[in-house]
Amino acid sequence: MARRPSPTDYRSDVWNDWCPGCGNFGIVAAMYQALAEMNADPRMTVVVSGIGCSGKTPHFVKVSGVHTLHGRAIPFATGIKLANPKLNVIVNGGDGDLLGIGAGHFVALGRRNVDLVVIMHDNQVYGLTKGQASPTLPREMQTKALPKPNIQDPVNPVALAISSGYTFVARGYSSKVKHLKDLIKAAIEHRGAAFIDVLQPCVTYNDIFTYDYYDKRVYQLEEAGWDPEAKDESDAVRKASEAYAKAFEWGDRIPIGVFYRNTHVPSFEDRISARLPNYLKVPPAEETVDRGGVPVMDGAAFRKAFSEYIVEVAKG
Amino acid sequence: MTIRAADFILGGPQGGGLETSSQVLTWAFARAGYGIISDREYFSNIRGRHSYIHAETSAFELPRALRYPIHLLAAMDAETVFTHFGDLAQGSYLVYNVDEEKSNFATIPSMEVELRERLRSAFPGIGVDGTLGSLVKYLGSRGVTPVGLDYASILSDAQGKVGIVASQVSRYVSAILIGAVAALTGLGEDYVSYGLARRFQRKELYEHNLYIARSVMSQVKSKFGSPLALEKPSIEHSELLVASGNDAVAMAKIVGGLRYQSYYPITPAADESFTLEEYESLHGDGLDSEVVVLQTEDELAAVNSAIGAALSGARSATATSGPGFDLMVEGLGWAGMNEVPVVVTYYQRGGPSTGQPTRGEQSDLLSSVFASHGEYPRIVIASGDHEEAFYDAVDALNYAERYQMPVIHLVDKFLANTIASMPVPDPSSIRIDRGKLTGNVSGTYKRFDMSSPISPRAFLGQAVMWYTGDEHDEVGHITEDSENRVRIYEKRMRKLEIADSEIPEERRAAYYGPEDADFLLLGWGFVKGAALSALSELSAQGLKGAYLHVRVFSPYPSKLVAGILSRFKPDRIIAVEHNYEAQAARLARMNTGVEVGRSILKFSGRPIYADELVRAVKSVLSGSRREVLSYGA
Repeated sequence: MARRPSPTDYRSDVWNDWCPGCGNFGIVAAMYQALAEMNADPRMTVVVSGIGCSGKTPHFVKVSGVHTLHGRAIPFATGIKLANPKLNVIVNGGDGDLLGIGAGHFVALGRRNVDLVVIMHDNQVYGLTKGQASPTLPREMQTKALPKPNIQDPVNPVALAISSGYTFVARGYSSKVKHLKDLIKAAIEHRGAAFIDVLQPCVTYNDIFTYDYYDKRVYQLEEAGWDPEAKDESDAVRKASEAYAKAFEWGDRIPIGVFYRNTHVPSFEDRISARLPNYLKVPPAEETVDRGGVPVMDGAAFRKAFSEYIVEVAKG
Repeated sequence: MTIRAADFILGGPQGGGLETSSQVLTWAFARAGYGIISDREYFSNIRGRHSYIHAETSAFELPRALRYPIHLLAAMDAETVFTHFGDLAQGSYLVYNVDEEKSNFATIPSMEVELRERLRSAFPGIGVDGTLGSLVKYLGSRGVTPVGLDYASILSDAQGKVGIVASQVSRYVSAILIGAVAALTGLGEDYVSYGLARRFQRKELYEHNLYIARSVMSQVKSKFGSPLALEKPSIEHSELLVASGNDAVAMAKIVGGLRYQSYYPITPAADESFTLEEYESLHGDGLDSEVVVLQTEDELAAVNSAIGAALSGARSATATSGPGFDLMVEGLGWAGMNEVPVVVTYYQRGGPSTGQPTRGEQSDLLSSVFASHGEYPRIVIASGDHEEAFYDAVDALNYAERYQMPVIHLVDKFLANTIASMPVPDPSSIRIDRGKLTGNVSGTYKRFDMSSPISPRAFLGQAVMWYTGDEHDEVGHITEDSENRVRIYEKRMRKLEIADSEIPEERRAAYYGPEDADFLLLGWGFVKGAALSALSELSAQGLKGAYLHVRVFSPYPSKLVAGILSRFKPDRIIAVEHNYEAQAARLARMNTGVEVGRSILKFSGRPIYADELVRAVKSVLSGSRREVLSYGA
């Protein structure tokens, strides 16, 4: 693209079939804007999703898209990224997808600090299956479709991300598109596992956490003087603890913005390149494995590499 | 007097150094020019339970099967003798610790209750009072020569002479077994020293072990000579590759261009990934080979991250066993739907559920061929020996990319954990086929272009493309249109027909034996070795049989198999498999319409031994419909 791209350049031709007024529209709009402002190369950008309403996101964005299985967006994205760390990989998943069926992968990504962005569409319900309670719906809440109030406690996404080791942890609100766009840009620029919990009203099934509910309550951390930065490695526990506590602020006032950022943890790609010296220069996806159909490892190289398995028979 | 081949067992507690003994002897026999195969049988346990190594070494061939009775049992402990005394042949040798003669089977806590009960009822009838000493005396009267050694005094002598630390003494019992086996089989000291030097890089460990092995050798030789001396080897190899099945597959994957492997720890697959990690970074002499090996949080992540890596363009695989494979099935369906080249190396073990984690079985064939909701094409390969496993691992990567579909490469625990000698593979005989690739695409790219069943493939990063597990159009967007559904469904499935027409049937099944054979064994996987060994024994007895080895189950080599099966009467076709249902025979009938009328099955978790297979074939030829084998501790 010679000219500076506009957000509409990143909109695909696929008709968007989310419910009118769905909070997801704000998320995808923020993504278009962030990608345009960053002049993202559509071939080098990959949006990976799980299942459900949020799972359709890749089809609406004109960059490469991988719409995977329920709960498995993070493992797919991990493989995509580790095989070619030059790709910019953004995961979109629902709260049920990332914190219910895929919770193990959510935690594992934090431990690895792979340079991925995870945008969670947090609406407290399973929309596409008609409104069941998701892992972020508080106990005793009874959203529209529930026959009875919810008797399971919610998981706190921001707190879980911090304790899992994510090095960029934020919360956005789908109705504050510009703010969310800035969070997405910062998450992409961050080198390591970045998580954004996006409050996203489900206009069809969630009659509790509505636009009206959030509009009255959300405030921006940066405007309240919150400093999310871990200054150095030794500061990480203190900052993470403060951010963890902050994550439980909920009720009359709901904070959005960056809770925690730590740039002092090596990314997984760096950890791999400490073992594989060519990794970042020639990643697995680009390595030449054959020359005209013949393996690059020839007989001599095979014997040298695997000498431990070869026994020369003694003469005599 | 010399013998052509020897079968021996080394036994002892898990974690007690058996693997060291086996490793050293394997290298030593190979160095001396003998072929060797060695199976490891062990419990799902870290320390203390009875494990054993059953090996055959041969002067005239690279052995491919094991047999009973054995020529030699070398026991680290009394439990080994109580477990294996029945395996000893007339004229065989038993190496044991005289210190343990008072040990009574009834008080060995690690022994399983069932074995203890069997011994309790058997011993009175043969006049054994329950002690090791009494059992040894009985064996002596039945033609077994006891080679009693005082392990404690051998070790304390070494302690005095070469200064072994007292707390480390138990680690040297393995050297006693090595010395005893070498002496009795006439294996020269140079070879033992060679094996020890390879095993122990630390000079003092090598020297201590060599001292003990030497002193045992001279002690045993002076009293017993070398009654099991092997004849001069006549195998024409100047070098041999000595490796487990796990390691053979790992080496093949690296040669074959694998660049991403994910795995979750599971027996008996995990060793392969450890080996890959060991050799993840190879550089020099024009070679730059780097493999990302990722230990994932579960098998769901293992298969799905491998699929992701394949989308980016790396040759990609995961390795697992039954319980892990079950978790991977949803991911494989996604790979089938999205035409992703990904390889699952599937090490079968005893199932269902946790089953017998460290024991062998071949009961996952039908699961591999059919696992899924919905339909998608897949290639299923099954390897029969180490050499096949090596070349199949390369072809698995080739087929996955050429036909753009998941490939399941079946191996079994027997092959995985058996160390065998094989010719050193020649990478120049290997071809790497990456299939139809586009390179960079600037305009619109249709990942699922329907102009031919196999669409040109771009990697992520080379074009803008979409993938989805939903039914999709050529571009990769969701569509539920009924006409598109039929067209793209057929496009996907037709790839298997192309694979069927391109991969020669001779690559997918092999016939061993005379054209005019009177009966046919039908088998797959590790059965191959036992079947071929049994057939050569049967032929020496005047029974003329053949073996049909199926190596690819999807796409099934129907014409070739049908042609061969139709030459035999149903009661002369015998399925030989490690499962209850004769799964490969069912697939044969499904694909050829020919009934396989007879079966010889083993699902005890232990390998099929050549001698028991010979007996079972004879029973079937004289009228039995189904034989269930169970030999082996």
